[in-house]
Amino acid sequence: MNMSGFQQRVKQAKAENLWLLAGLALAFTPHFFRLPLLVMLPSIILLCWRLLFEWRYLALPPRTVRWLLTLVGILATWIAFGTLVGQQAGVGLLVIMLCLKLMEMNAQRDVGVVIGLGFFVVITVFLFDQSIFMGFYMLLVVTLLVTALIAFSRDQSVIPQWANLQKAGAILMQALPLALLLFFLFPRIPGPLWSLPADGAGAGTGLSDSMSPGNISQLSDNDSVAFRVQFDTPLPLPQKRYWRGPVLTQFDGRTWTNPYPQRLTTRLSINAQNQARGTPSLYTVTLEPHQQRWLFALDLPAIIPPDSRLSDDYEIIANQPVRQLVRYSMRSFTDYRLAKDDIPNISLYLQLPEKSGIQARQLAQQLRQKVTDNAAYVQTVLNYIAEQPFYYTRQPPLLFDDPVDAFLFDSRRGFCEHYASAFVFLMRAAGVPARVVTGYQGGEMNPQSDYFIVRQSDAHAWTEVWLRGEGWRRIDPTAVIPAERIENPQDLARILPEMTGAGTTPNWLKKVGRQLSFSWDRINHTWNQWVVNYNTQRQQNFLSRMFASAGFDNIDWQQMISLLVAGMTLVMVVVAVYLLRPWHRRNQDPAQMAYERFCQRLSQRGMQRQPAEGPLDFAQRASQQYPQRARDINNITVLYERQRYTPYPTQRNLQQLQRAVRNFIV
Amino acid sequence: MSHTTANTTTPTAMSLRHRFSLKRFFAGEGPEPGPIFLAQRRVYILPSRMGVYFAAMMLIMLLGAVNYNNSLAYALTFLLASIFFIAILHTYRNLLHLRVDVGQIPAVFCGEIAQVPIMLDNRRSAARYAIKLQLRNQQHTNVDITGDQWQRNKVPLRTTHRGRHTVPRLTLETGFPLGLFRAWAYAQRDVCYFVYPIPDQHHPLPDESSYHLDLQGDRGHGTDDFAGLRNYHAGDSLRHIHWKTVARGQDMFTKQFGGDQAIELWLDWDSLPNLDTEARLSRLTRWVLDASATQVNYGLRLPNTHIPPGTGSAHQQQCLQALALHDITPDADISSS
Repeated sequence: MNMSGFQQRVKQAKAENLWLLAGLALAFTPHFFRLPLLVMLPSIILLCWRLLFEWRYLALPPRTVRWLLTLVGILATWIAFGTLVGQQAGVGLLVIMLCLKLMEMNAQRDVGVVIGLGFFVVITVFLFDQSIFMGFYMLLVVTLLVTALIAFSRDQSVIPQWANLQKAGAILMQALPLALLLFFLFPRIPGPLWSLPADGAGAGTGLSDSMSPGNISQLSDNDSVAFRVQFDTPLPLPQKRYWRGPVLTQFDGRTWTNPYPQRLTTRLSINAQNQARGTPSLYTVTLEPHQQRWLFALDLPAIIPPDSRLSDDYEIIANQPVRQLVRYSMRSFTDYRLAKDDIPNISLYLQLPEKSGIQARQLAQQLRQKVTDNAAYVQTVLNYIAEQPFYYTRQPPLLFDDPVDAFLFDSRRGFCEHYASAFVFLMRAAGVPARVVTGYQGGEMNPQSDYFIVRQSDAHAWTEVWLRGEGWRRIDPTAVIPAERIENPQDLARILPEMTGAGTTPNWLKKVGRQLSFSWDRINHTWNQWVVNYNTQRQQNFLSRMFASAGFDNIDWQQMISLLVAGMTLVMVVVAVYLLRPWHRRNQDPAQMAYERFCQRLSQRGMQRQPAEGPLDFAQRASQQYPQRARDINNITVLYERQRYTPYPTQRNLQQLQRAVRNFIV
Repeated sequence: MSHTTANTTTPTAMSLRHRFSLKRFFAGEGPEPGPIFLAQRRVYILPSRMGVYFAAMMLIMLLGAVNYNNSLAYALTFLLASIFFIAILHTYRNLLHLRVDVGQIPAVFCGEIAQVPIMLDNRRSAARYAIKLQLRNQQHTNVDITGDQWQRNKVPLRTTHRGRHTVPRLTLETGFPLGLFRAWAYAQRDVCYFVYPIPDQHHPLPDESSYHLDLQGDRGHGTDDFAGLRNYHAGDSLRHIHWKTVARGQDMFTKQFGGDQAIELWLDWDSLPNLDTEARLSRLTRWVLDASATQVNYGLRLPNTHIPPGTGSAHQQQCLQALALHDITPDADISSS
């Protein structure tokens, strides 16, 4: 097939179908990386089939084959997901059925159906990804689908196709102000309207609810954002920036786990045990979706965000997994006393597996016997870690038989999880109640804006021990490792909060890179605040503030609707005036205007042209009235008729007419 | 031709009651004398079937957005809704302010398809696309008009009854650009066209006995038979101006009329007693055509009409028109074919 033959085929193809296929291919692309290949591969094949059909290389399958393909498609979806309902399976089914529809898209109506379904595919992409990039990418897809709609509404595809694209662009630009008004003013209804099918959609990137220190040989260095924080009060000191997450209390010798949800049955009154000191930190957290139920807060939370609960271990647990960006206001006391005199279920914090850590238990006994009370014992163990050759590394060796003993007496190399695990083990072995706390530690201010960024690489594990009379005390055993035993200097700042800014000075390239990444993060943060997380509450706040500045009290949904209708009407009128140009309505041709001037002259003399009277009849009547002007009247009428009702009016004729009218005197 | 453009386009000419009458919505304005300007009040717009489907789809999308609390789903739904609203204006604009006129329709024999010339005058610099032109109950034609252009389109019109008919109502319809809305306007001009009876199969002309020699003809000036053209003199009746030459941009001529004398062939209704009315008309039509072809002087005798012998295309036309109109009451003129 030579090139010109191919171009010929492209030209023969229906323009609207090509636009449509391009739009669909782009709409499918994000799903391609997310949905099983078993669903996406057949879809892509069907899409290509349709394209080859448009180029006249392939025929469409007959009806029996189409039925067969439909069955195969449903089967593939069912095999890939194990179900046909639920979010992921539903999207898979939509994609594959849409592609099957391409196999029988012949009638005009079918094209409309497929374009409509294309818009649905766009919406399903948003269920998984609402990033700023995806937003603009899908705007491109919508443009292509609208172009398909335009090409489809024209029967001939004669004019260049870019004109259709241009038209789509113009329509989108005109629609944008309306869309913005609708977005901000349309009263947001708090969902969901019906319960959503539980769906393990997407792998979480956040913290898990278990910890197995011996099983990881490489700590990932994931710089993606875990959450962002806007502080209303001054930033807490670096050593106080512990963001509490899952608390792990159960240990089986290898893995620490969280006992929730069995223990959610008891609920604490948040202020009963918590004896807060000082002034609270007030801040708002914007948490990225991580598919788990943890909400993070600065140690120690003093309030519970809506739709969530507090566990006995002061974890905040949302009622639903965090599948979308959530935003909650928090209050925390960084100085606190917790459970000073007594804790319920003390045995929970003393639990140890039967057969592991034999050496560790002996070590605990030895060290405990040297001192008189538990507080001194804690310090002794910390000293032990600081003095013995323990190293901090992000690439620890794997630990096999008995991870606790192997770490404490053999490898002595690890990161926070190893130290937290070993420390709690030593505490419990000496009868001191203790637990592992995971979460994030540290974070950094975006210097270009007013918020604080906590990244996945800030994930941390530390411990809490309970001392009678003092309550739970936070101990971070990783922090006692001396600087010279930290393998990578860049980890210094991570481990020792007081030493932020230490380590190597970044060169200018790194500086620029950091600036750019902060700028980009700020854009993302704004997008999250104003687009992704624009919900009922935020709408209420924003519009109330706007409304208050205009001198009104508050805003309710009726006022929102009124504002919306008024705004949309205004925009529509502006666009209508721009498009329809009613003042151009007359836009008459000069011959008509000259003739009307002539009629006007006559009417001034009482010679009124009747509504249904044609120029010839009128001329005859006027000639009878003014016989001395008959020649002029006839001349003007003839010139007018000639100008108006011949296929090729001339400029000369027009000038003659205009001159004749000018010179016409009754 | 007589035209009264100025008066049909003034919006004040329409009373409110008329403006909102349903008859206009379903049937249009009725025959009008001049070129028709599609003003705001003449262009109607409603969602198309696809538009209704799209509205339903957007409702489902909105439910999805609410249910999943998904902001970008909201944004997409609102963007599509806005496009939907903007499409109203674009579709409406595609017809608005278009000028429509119907040209003279050449006469046809019954059963033939008449080509109705539809003149569209787009005085806007922007093009108008995919306008469907359709005469009532007829096949449609789709046209595009580029900006600032005057365009002549032929729209087919089936003929089923002989006679003189007013051109049926023309519907201009468009879904451009998105097909979500259908804008339409009615335009009916008071232009008439003739449908002649179907010519019979070939039959020999009546024999020599029907020929008459008539010596009573005159050659003076008159108004009966067209005799020729002479140069226009000031004061000549405008009714006798030969507009065809004027239209060609030539000088003006006045038509002269007179009588003639020759050997005459009479085509007589009464000479065909065995046939029914339509068959007689068919036979006579055939004879008129054949007689014209042989250039013989022929006259036509119908029960109520008497056309003295003559030749030429004007004479032929007169005869065919008489045949077309035979036994048709003037009221029936209005009914479209």
